[in-house]
Amino acid sequence: MIVEELVLPVLMVFFMLAAGAYTVAVLDRVIAGALGTPQAGSVWIVPLARGAWLMTQHANATEAPDWRAWRLAPALYLSLAAIGLAVVPWSGSLVATDLATSVVLWGSVEALATVVIFLHGWSANALFALIGGYRYVALGLSYILISMFVLIGVALPAESLQFTQVVASQGELWNLIRQPLGLPLFLIVGLGMTFWGPLNLADSADLAGGTAAEISGPPRLVWDVARAAMLVAFSGVATSAFLGGWLGPWLPGPLWVVIKMLAVLLVLLLLGRLLPRLAPERCVTLMWVVLLPLSFIDLVWAGVGALL
Amino acid sequence: MAVNWLRNLASRRSVPVFPVLGVQGDKALRHLTLSPDIELVDSPRHASVLLVAGEIPADRFEPLRRVHDQLPSPFTTLWFRCEPWPHLESVIRVDDLDVLPAALVTAYRELMKGRRESSPRILPDKPPNPWEGEGDFGQGGEGMMGGVPYGRPMAMNMEDDIRDGLTLDSLTFRLGPFFFAFPPGMAAEITLQGDLVQTWKTQLVAYPQSLDPVFFTARERPVPIAELELARARHHLHRLYRGLHLAGLESASLSALRLAQNLSTTSTLDGLHRYLSRSGFFRLAAIKGGVLGPEQARRIGGPAARAAGLDEDLRSDDAGYRRLGFSPVSQAGGDTGARWRQVLAEIDQSLQLARQAERDDMTTSEVDRIETPRGPWLEKRPEDASALLDEILPGQEWGDALATIASLDVAAVAEASLDTQTASEPRITNTLDSEGGRT
Repeated sequence: MIVEELVLPVLMVFFMLAAGAYTVAVLDRVIAGALGTPQAGSVWIVPLARGAWLMTQHANATEAPDWRAWRLAPALYLSLAAIGLAVVPWSGSLVATDLATSVVLWGSVEALATVVIFLHGWSANALFALIGGYRYVALGLSYILISMFVLIGVALPAESLQFTQVVASQGELWNLIRQPLGLPLFLIVGLGMTFWGPLNLADSADLAGGTAAEISGPPRLVWDVARAAMLVAFSGVATSAFLGGWLGPWLPGPLWVVIKMLAVLLVLLLLGRLLPRLAPERCVTLMWVVLLPLSFIDLVWAGVGALL
Repeated sequence: MAVNWLRNLASRRSVPVFPVLGVQGDKALRHLTLSPDIELVDSPRHASVLLVAGEIPADRFEPLRRVHDQLPSPFTTLWFRCEPWPHLESVIRVDDLDVLPAALVTAYRELMKGRRESSPRILPDKPPNPWEGEGDFGQGGEGMMGGVPYGRPMAMNMEDDIRDGLTLDSLTFRLGPFFFAFPPGMAAEITLQGDLVQTWKTQLVAYPQSLDPVFFTARERPVPIAELELARARHHLHRLYRGLHLAGLESASLSALRLAQNLSTTSTLDGLHRYLSRSGFFRLAAIKGGVLGPEQARRIGGPAARAAGLDEDLRSDDAGYRRLGFSPVSQAGGDTGARWRQVLAEIDQSLQLARQAERDDMTTSEVDRIETPRGPWLEKRPEDASALLDEILPGQEWGDALATIASLDVAAVAEASLDTQTASEPRITNTLDSEGGRT
């Protein structure tokens, strides 16, 4: 009882955190290399070497930071990523926690991420970190709204807020085809929510690293792992919501989930390397004027589809 | 043992280097960017090696001390073509650009494996000003503003917002002279509300930049136009590399840099131009701000002026260029985007001129009217134009402001050309591309 309901799920989530973050690091490096960034060393070793480097480095101090919040924020973000990974179903029965309201839980992860990212930027008591935090708060609401509408869209045909039910409802037709606007919208929102690539405005280059500009050593390792794990959690949710999760011929279900998650990760990481960073103002306009109305259309489309 | 194993593993990553640029230090920066063993980082907190590249003027010693102490230990320093401070022990000085990457790798590996001591801190670990706040966290005092903790007033709302009336706490700070997105050596005092620039005061102007020697030779005698135009294209490509790095287009910025390193009359810009259009650089990135009026454009001159619609280019007065059918290109907008379009157009034009001039073996005819890539050189060399920044940056968001700075070539032209040792840009062998792709 305890082993099945507590130990195994926790081990599963820990494994996904580690394996997921490593996969993101390797994939991103392969993509960067293919696009012409000069690199030395084996693509498999270097992410580990980078982790070892951060482990041996001291965690630095800034002038009068809010110590507790500053040290806690990376750990909190990692926990949020872990919660996200816990609701991703690997098959009809293999899921770390099969809550009846797992879609809502994911929504709360997105909302709480805003708090944690701001905390991380604010508590460093440093300029660029603070601006990075401000920016995320200014933009976070627009990501979350779109994400919620799109996810309600996939919950409608399933008549459930449970990811396993959402997957099961895609037996005949994946939501990717049933709601063609859904996945593209969700992917763009995902880049924003995980502040990655073109929508990395919180930890961006023009802020010399933004909320992470002032951290070094183990806290930076935790923050980097958490960011990568959040991207993996997001791709897991996208897989369940739009790509039919474990459904697929010939191969076992969990393997299908891995393949689909890797495909989503690949798209996100490629976009991250190919597109320039959006200007924050243009990003707000894009979200509220273009993507939010599109997400309404997606929701109406899903509702009509569910009625027919 | 476990620690040793960890440190051995750590020594296998590329060397995280924070570059502090002195006079003419940018050449070392470009050389290292294309080196696979080096990762240049934008924040000193993310580095293990501090590279002081080029001579640091005495008025920038104090900021250098502060940057030095920001690196997380263990860290080490390496001084390139700059005399290390005497009180720093066991500091390495390197003068040869070709051995610089290897020297950085050696320093880092020795540091990681414990064969080299971490650099000592220079400054005492205490706030620059005493605590003068009221209450434990500065929350006391009148209106809960708490006096002046650590010599600085609490962020409080003293002035109205200049954009949309949504006033936020004003935040005043000094940035530079080693901030990666500024021209080397520039420092400014900036007031922000949120991420909107309220005021901008340039406090230290950028170091004068050195031009390719061919521009100085052209002031003395006629020179081959092909050579002059290739040097011009290279100068613009170097700026494009910084601009694209800032915009988050890492691979495009590296393409620009590689093109500059291997530039010849057979080079073309087509690939890069196409990539920039397709990636949405001109639609998505922060390039809408920084409009120069006609009077401001005239003050800075050169490509920035032509991007604002001024049709002035001293090459039009040169008989050699006239025979090649030269006419200046210009843009209408005058904003950051127009300046990058202008830079791309001028690189393209320079490469075409170089091809034609090489075929016809053309030379310049004027010696006292030279259009440098930085602007016209009549009696005086182009002068520093950073005062312009104080005028056009207020009102812009942070990202737009930095993009504006990257697109404006404000630094003056130095008196002497590049010294002979650095005159020829280091040729990175072409194998880099293919190797980079595989690993």
